[in-house]
Amino acid sequence: MDIVCDKRAGGTLLQVNGRMDAVYAPAFEKECLLVIDGGEIKVVVDLTGLEYISSAGLRSILVSAKKAKVKGCSIQFCGVSGMVEEVFKISGLFTLFSIVPTVEEAFAA
Amino acid sequence: MMKPQGIAFRLASLTLLVSTIILAIIVGYNYSVSRKIIVALAEDRGTLLAKSTAKKISTAFMTVQKVIDSVAFSLEDDRLTEKRVNELGQRVLINNPEIFGSAIAFEPFSFQHDNQYYAPYHYRLDGGPIVFARLGSDDYQYFYMDWYQLPRELERPIWTEPYFDKGGGYELMTTYTVPFYRNRDGQKVLQGVVTADISISWVQKLISSLSSREAEYVFLLSRYGTFIAHPNANLVMNETVFTAAESLEYPQLREVGRRMVAGETGVVELNDLPMTGDSFLYFSPLPDQHWSVGFVCSKKEMLAEVSRLNREVATLGGLGFVALALLITFLAKRITHPLRELTVSANDMASGNLEARLPEATTKDEVGELTHSFQAMRESIKNYIENLTETTAAKERIESELRIAHDIQMGILPKLFPAFPEHREFDIYASIEPAKEVGGDLYDFFFVDENNFCFLVGDVSGKGVPAAFFMAVTKTLLKVVAESRLEPGEILAKVNDDLAEDNKSCMFVTLFLAIIDIRTGVVRYASAGHNPPLLLPKNKDAEWIPPLNELVAGIMEGTQYTTKSMTMHPGDTLFIYTDGVTEAMDKMNNLYSEDQLMVVTNQCLGKSAEQLVDSVDKSLKKFTGGAEQSDDITMLAMQYLGKGSKQEGDDRWI
Repeated sequence: MDIVCDKRAGGTLLQVNGRMDAVYAPAFEKECLLVIDGGEIKVVVDLTGLEYISSAGLRSILVSAKKAKVKGCSIQFCGVSGMVEEVFKISGLFTLFSIVPTVEEAFAA
Repeated sequence: MMKPQGIAFRLASLTLLVSTIILAIIVGYNYSVSRKIIVALAEDRGTLLAKSTAKKISTAFMTVQKVIDSVAFSLEDDRLTEKRVNELGQRVLINNPEIFGSAIAFEPFSFQHDNQYYAPYHYRLDGGPIVFARLGSDDYQYFYMDWYQLPRELERPIWTEPYFDKGGGYELMTTYTVPFYRNRDGQKVLQGVVTADISISWVQKLISSLSSREAEYVFLLSRYGTFIAHPNANLVMNETVFTAAESLEYPQLREVGRRMVAGETGVVELNDLPMTGDSFLYFSPLPDQHWSVGFVCSKKEMLAEVSRLNREVATLGGLGFVALALLITFLAKRITHPLRELTVSANDMASGNLEARLPEATTKDEVGELTHSFQAMRESIKNYIENLTETTAAKERIESELRIAHDIQMGILPKLFPAFPEHREFDIYASIEPAKEVGGDLYDFFFVDENNFCFLVGDVSGKGVPAAFFMAVTKTLLKVVAESRLEPGEILAKVNDDLAEDNKSCMFVTLFLAIIDIRTGVVRYASAGHNPPLLLPKNKDAEWIPPLNELVAGIMEGTQYTTKSMTMHPGDTLFIYTDGVTEAMDKMNNLYSEDQLMVVTNQCLGKSAEQLVDSVDKSLKKFTGGAEQSDDITMLAMQYLGKGSKQEGDDRWI
């Protein structure tokens, strides 16, 4: 898994590629919390390149979202498709998070 | 003892080898240079000796010449009487011991007109008393002899070739002969010759007296190369240098003979000469006689000094070599001694004795540094082993605790099958396989009342100890809440609220919980984000229970869950599992997938709950092919058989 962090005018874009399982999920969590703790007010997580997400990955996302909520930072997800979308739907997270189709839309909102 | 492969041995042998080579070069150089010098000196000295020998011989001959010349002068006086002539001849012998005999030979009829022969001859009988003889007879017409003819014709004094005198002396001799003349009518007329015989044995004695200690021997060659004097008496007057060269098969001798006969002075190197071996031959002429003196020196004799010097140098070198060998051996041993001690200690350490005594680092050289390094290494290893022992002990403790935890976790799940042999209405079977010692999956089943049977499967996020704790909490809560006869949705909502309260780590659990009324087959169920179970209707294809997409439990307090209802007919099976099944991976990270699960379950139509779970498990094992299990795998199959269908069920399923 690799994470590309892109600081933009409207917020920070985190592009996650590869597999987010028990081994790599902590890395995402750390990176995401770093951005949120840095006082960012908007974080967009692009999951287009994510091939697989395990329950540990979901937990990392939940931890990040919870932290964002505490810090008053809005967190949005985009590029959710395929297996990841399936997992999001089944676990009910689709309704919990703000999910938009593309990065552009996320930043336009 | 020095080891053949040891540094000391190699150092010593290498140094000694090099010094031996250097010594050999020095000795060789010394020998060749001193030999050259000696040979050069010997050449000069030999040539000088040859010359001086020739000169000494010449001088001896010169004395004779002078005497005879003066006698010849006296004889030119007409007034000489016979008596006077005889006295003259006798006096020559008395005054000159080197002269063997002396003749005054007159032309035929010139001294006494009536006498054809007049040649008084005085000689030494056997080298002793002087005797007188008259030469000349019909048998011995002296004026035809060489000693008479040659000076007469050449009109000058000559030395004859050596010859054996049969006239009077009966000796091997050479003769100096001088013509004398008288004035007749203003003309010089030859009157005769006066001679002096020199015995060759006298010449040989002269030569041997002249032989210096440097010379092996001296020899004399006549003008035609005949040996006049030679230590080998057989050669004298019998052989020439040329015939000797022939018989010895020594061509070089012929060349030397030619040069000697030609009257040259010189030196040649003759190898392997008879008697003397490798030799130098110096030669110088005796011009008056046209003879040549040869001077033979043995090279061995000549180089004896050089050889002696060389032997001494070699001996000194040898002693030096031994001293050097001892010194190097001593030094090398001294240097390598601590190394060897260190090796012994290192071997001791290598066999596990870390307390092995290390030699004291007494020197500040490389060996000392090595010893220090070794000490440091030993300390490091000791520390490392201590740490490792502690770590290993800690790890073993944790592992042991985890094994116990595993047993406890498995112990809280119902494991006994068939679980309810007294209830013929249904058949239930479940299996769980954690990826680690402890896992986050759970299942459970129990009667909430007489007719309502509750069964559930859950999956806590993550794996390992945290998940195991969360799983235990969830399982306990579920049991407590479910027994309060709530609807499945209400049960999940209640459990969710309890779990979500103060859940800082955001752990969550997906749950599928169903309660079946075993009398009617009506199933009420709810799902908290759990993957949809499969319904395998009797004699029909399997179908997914439509997902409700409701949130996983433990995240958000107050989440509501819908209770859905369906009816199972006898022979229908409900298959509930965790994502460890569908997300099981092979070595290429390919997922097992829902599709494959569907295919396998469809092949299990008509099988019992246990057979179904086993089939899926086998299919999974085959798919993963030994790849490391990435997630806990839990499966639960609930087959509804209908009320009082024991006989029927037995007929159908067994």
